[in-house]
Amino acid sequence: MSTATAETGKRQARGRYDAGVLKYREMGYWQPDYVPRDTDVIALFRITPQEGVEPEEAAAAVAGESSTATWTVVWTDRLTACDAYRAKAYRVDPVPNTGPGTRTEQQYFAYIAYELDLFEEGSIANLTASIIGNVFGFKPLKALRLEDMRIPVAYVKTFQGPATGIVVERERLDKFGRPLLGATTKPKLGLSGRNYGRVVYEALKGGLDFVKDDENINSQPFMHWRDRFLFVMEAVNRASAATGEVKGHYLNVTAATMEDMYERAEFAKELGSVIVMIDLVIGYTAIQSMAKWARRNDMILHLHRAGHSTYTRQKNHGIAFRVISKWMRLAGVDHIHAGTVVGKLEGDPAVIAGIYDTLREPFTPANLGHGLFFDQDWAGMRKVMPVASGGIHAGQMHQLISYLGEDVVLQFGGGTIGHPHGIEAGAQANRVALEAIIQARNEGVDIWNEGPEVLEKAARWCTPLRAALETWRDVTFDYTSTDTVDFVPTATPAS
Amino acid sequence: MRITQGTFSFLPDLTDAQIRAQVDYALRQGWAPSVEFTDDPHPRNTYWEMWGLPMFEVQDAAAVLYEINACRKAYPDRYIRVNAFDATRGFESVRLSFLVNRPPREPRFELIRTEGPGRSVRYSLRTVRENEGAPE
Amino acid sequence: MNTASNPPAVAPSTPSVDLQAMLAETHVSDVIEQLDNDLIGLAPVKQRVREIAAFLLVAKARAQVGIESEQPSMHMCFTGNPGTGKTTVAVRMADILQRLGWVRRNTVVTVTRDDLVGQYIGHTAPKTREVLKRAMGGVLFIDEAYYLYRPENERDYGQESIEILLQAMEANRNDLVVILAGYKDRMETFFRANAGIHSRIAHHIEFSDFSAEELLQIAELMAERMHYRFDAESLETMRNYIERRIHQPNFANARSIRNALDRARLRQANRLFARAMKGARASVEELTLIASEDLLSSRVFQMKEADSGSG
Repeated sequence: MSTATAETGKRQARGRYDAGVLKYREMGYWQPDYVPRDTDVIALFRITPQEGVEPEEAAAAVAGESSTATWTVVWTDRLTACDAYRAKAYRVDPVPNTGPGTRTEQQYFAYIAYELDLFEEGSIANLTASIIGNVFGFKPLKALRLEDMRIPVAYVKTFQGPATGIVVERERLDKFGRPLLGATTKPKLGLSGRNYGRVVYEALKGGLDFVKDDENINSQPFMHWRDRFLFVMEAVNRASAATGEVKGHYLNVTAATMEDMYERAEFAKELGSVIVMIDLVIGYTAIQSMAKWARRNDMILHLHRAGHSTYTRQKNHGIAFRVISKWMRLAGVDHIHAGTVVGKLEGDPAVIAGIYDTLREPFTPANLGHGLFFDQDWAGMRKVMPVASGGIHAGQMHQLISYLGEDVVLQFGGGTIGHPHGIEAGAQANRVALEAIIQARNEGVDIWNEGPEVLEKAARWCTPLRAALETWRDVTFDYTSTDTVDFVPTATPAS
Repeated sequence: MRITQGTFSFLPDLTDAQIRAQVDYALRQGWAPSVEFTDDPHPRNTYWEMWGLPMFEVQDAAAVLYEINACRKAYPDRYIRVNAFDATRGFESVRLSFLVNRPPREPRFELIRTEGPGRSVRYSLRTVRENEGAPE
Repeated sequence: MNTASNPPAVAPSTPSVDLQAMLAETHVSDVIEQLDNDLIGLAPVKQRVREIAAFLLVAKARAQVGIESEQPSMHMCFTGNPGTGKTTVAVRMADILQRLGWVRRNTVVTVTRDDLVGQYIGHTAPKTREVLKRAMGGVLFIDEAYYLYRPENERDYGQESIEILLQAMEANRNDLVVILAGYKDRMETFFRANAGIHSRIAHHIEFSDFSAEELLQIAELMAERMHYRFDAESLETMRNYIERRIHQPNFANARSIRNALDRARLRQANRLFARAMKGARASVEELTLIASEDLLSSRVFQMKEADSGSG
């Protein structure tokens, strides 16, 4: 084994490529002086090294394993411009509130830059095969989490991006100035097509813009997919005639094969649906295929993030959801479930704000308080509509709008279908609550504090809203989030 | 039938003071309000008639109300809406749109189904006005 | 602990208003004071402005304690010859109206007939409406308003504009204050033919011509603001200039003074430049001085007494 300690650049080539095993940092994967280029892909990993492994060596190992390296020196490196292809770990910072004196073992943020030519244009599959391919099982690390990525504009422009985007979605639906309203049909499983369509009709006629299939509604013995599509589209069109509004239902086209998915999507199109839906579990390539199909066919593409919590929730290992959000904006979905803050599912307010900005802004500046480590220029790529769903109700409307803004779909499943006066009343309660809060906000009312009074006032003339407020008045899901930000802005103490 | 297009159609019809507050909000955001009217509220009827150009120069909501009232006087039996346009990059579209006038008797929509093979159906909507029956 | 002194504490049985506090709160006195300081002369105008401010303040106070009264009309007419300060006072008036809450912003949109009246059929209404919309929330100042009315041409589109203005003055009193301005006699003729407009004007303010002495003060003030000065000799020449200029055609009060000063500055610069070409340096005193000769080469002094039209 070589004992060389000098920097790669200064080392004699002969020593560097002797057969044997070198430390990764000595193979050129640790370059503290490296200044990332505008065209580099940059990844930020949270690393928890095994005992005795130096953080720089761990970072270099991650750089190596996610780019060109293998465990030993290979002479064939010398047939390539390997200095360019090697990923470079260029910075390692200890994570605040980890290590000795805390309840968490020492973690580090490792910044790694990748040459653009390492990646195939427009391919999430290729990007992820490198960045999260082998490296997550690497033994010298106890745990590894991909926290954030900077996608260079040069690479952004090789992706299609959202098939429709927020602006065009609103123009197609003719709905402006307020969040859109949705609900997931309940019970999730077991309804026949005919009964299922009834729920859809009632909810849309009552005032929702969208109803949604759940992630695991595909084509089961109790309801095959064609049956569902036919009954649902009857309901959608009847509701449209009854209100004069464009209405939609996310028809889940998730299936076993691409051929099945295309067949289902084509049928949805034939029936005049404005939107179809896929699950995250179909995989990145299938998602990109469906995004292209949706762009070709003027269809809004809804993505349910089924399965993501298996790798996004724990703070020390996996992939932060903000990274998934970036990938999905590139991949080209129009809707993505992105957290509610106040509902039943995981969602720290600062983390959610960072994710929403990633989906909706033309340029997302670095903001450590929101978990965003890099400036991200989206280069005119269309915007993804975030979807907030899971355990939310009309009484939280002012909080939802304060946290999430107006370019968002608010999905009240139980909060619509569980209304004591029925589904139509539930939908109406949600729509009235929404419009009353938006009206008040625009008039300059401080909705965060005075929202409850605004809702009470509207409930005086809207019986369904009154019933909704009474039923769910005290329902909150107040648990500590596991995925939180590491940098908390603190007030400077007065001396 | 009360159609529910526009941002505030589930609330009681806005009073002039409430309309003024919403227009004020739009002006504060730097959006240009405009007034449009139609007798056909079909959801795919995107292009209502423009009552003048979008008001890019206006600083006060009273000016918009002035045009709304002129339009109401000319077309009391039509739908009238206020749109607010945002020219910011990344939007360049309508940001707020709400009704400020409805005809005394609103039309309804007839759902026309054209059945095809395999139980498939093509749907279309037809606007049906007062004194007008369904087609034969 | 009660340390209340004057006035003796009397439990009020009816609501009352502290007018002084209101005045202080709105800073209206500041505007009036500014008007006093900025404008030479115009004593009757300043008095009228004070009266109107008091009226607006009391009207606001009455509304505050719930005395029902119709929204007072605020539209005004400023009559007087050119250069007598109408536009300046309109700007201050907008300040006062805004501070007292009668308009929402202190903007003054100034227009003349050409901005309101079109040349073809169908042009006038949109033009007038456009102007009204721009002005709404503040003050619309229509200069030489009598040109709107051209009785010699019965197809004149001015009448159409007048009707639209009239409607807005009535229906949008809360949104717009209209100030009509122009020569006194011509405004009177205009009002005789347009009684509708006349009846909606609540306040008439007459701007009289400045005296020669006032104009000299104005000249000094203007020069000072431009960082110039007169010496004893040039001040006398200026006085002489003003006395001649008053009696010549196209005299426009303060505006004529400003024009005279602008021309004098030009001549001063030429004079200094000519000297500089001969190698002279210019001191600060020289750079700021309007000398007698800068004024004396004016055409005003060349005109014969007989041409000047003075008696």
